[in-house]
Amino acid sequence: MKTETHKVARLHALLWGIFSLGGMIAAFLLPVLIYLTAIAYPYSLWPFNGTKNPGFLITGHTLGALFLFVTVAGSLFHGIFRFQSVLTEVGLQKYRRGLEAVGYFIIFAGIIILGYYLATWYLNGTIT
Amino acid sequence: MGDTKQYPEIRKRLTPGWWTHNRRYANYMVREWTSLFVALYSLLIIYGLSLWFNGSETDFLNFLKNPAIIGFSIVALFFTMYHAVTWFYLLGAVAPVKIGRSHTKPWQALILNLVLLVIISYVAIWIAILR
Repeated sequence: MKTETHKVARLHALLWGIFSLGGMIAAFLLPVLIYLTAIAYPYSLWPFNGTKNPGFLITGHTLGALFLFVTVAGSLFHGIFRFQSVLTEVGLQKYRRGLEAVGYFIIFAGIIILGYYLATWYLNGTIT
Repeated sequence: MGDTKQYPEIRKRLTPGWWTHNRRYANYMVREWTSLFVALYSLLIIYGLSLWFNGSETDFLNFLKNPAIIGFSIVALFFTMYHAVTWFYLLGAVAPVKIGRSHTKPWQALILNLVLLVIISYVAIWIAILR
């Protein structure tokens, strides 16, 4: 019983630790990704006022793909984790288990799909 | 000491609108709801990449140029910045640094982190796009 409690506590600590890391990633890296894809590219602003486009994040350099993966995966974890948690604070406490299940499914499915795309592009040479 | 009896946890039952009664709680809740935009934008990018994966790079680029996507992304940028700025302020409030006999203030952490945000953003653009 006690060991089980410790395991759950460790898991909670781990998940909240990843959540905090995701918070730092969302705070420091997500704004620049949104700027690149939603403002700089459509309106031809720096650094996309030449020949490059957001596809260069994938095709240009492995570090660009790594930046994309870390930013999107970290932000997804942080955003969904916090949002499903906040729903329990506005009257949905009795659905906590279901919300957690849906939340973790979206997080892990999203990260696995993103990782699969990037790994495939890395292996077939799209990411150079 | 040796009392291992489990006692039931008594929690005050909160109404769905508990956070509207106090400005601090309301600010907290607004901040937490902005995480929805962080999550939705991440899912949007994954969806855009799926268009590329199952079609071509042009599909991904056309998706980014869709006016609805641009509009939503700009709203998401606004809320993401709000989320980031409040996070930076919270960092300073929760973990002040002791310098000499005084502790740093939350607004100092906010300014320092905003400067860091600009530097990190430039470095990310340089590594991913410019070099």
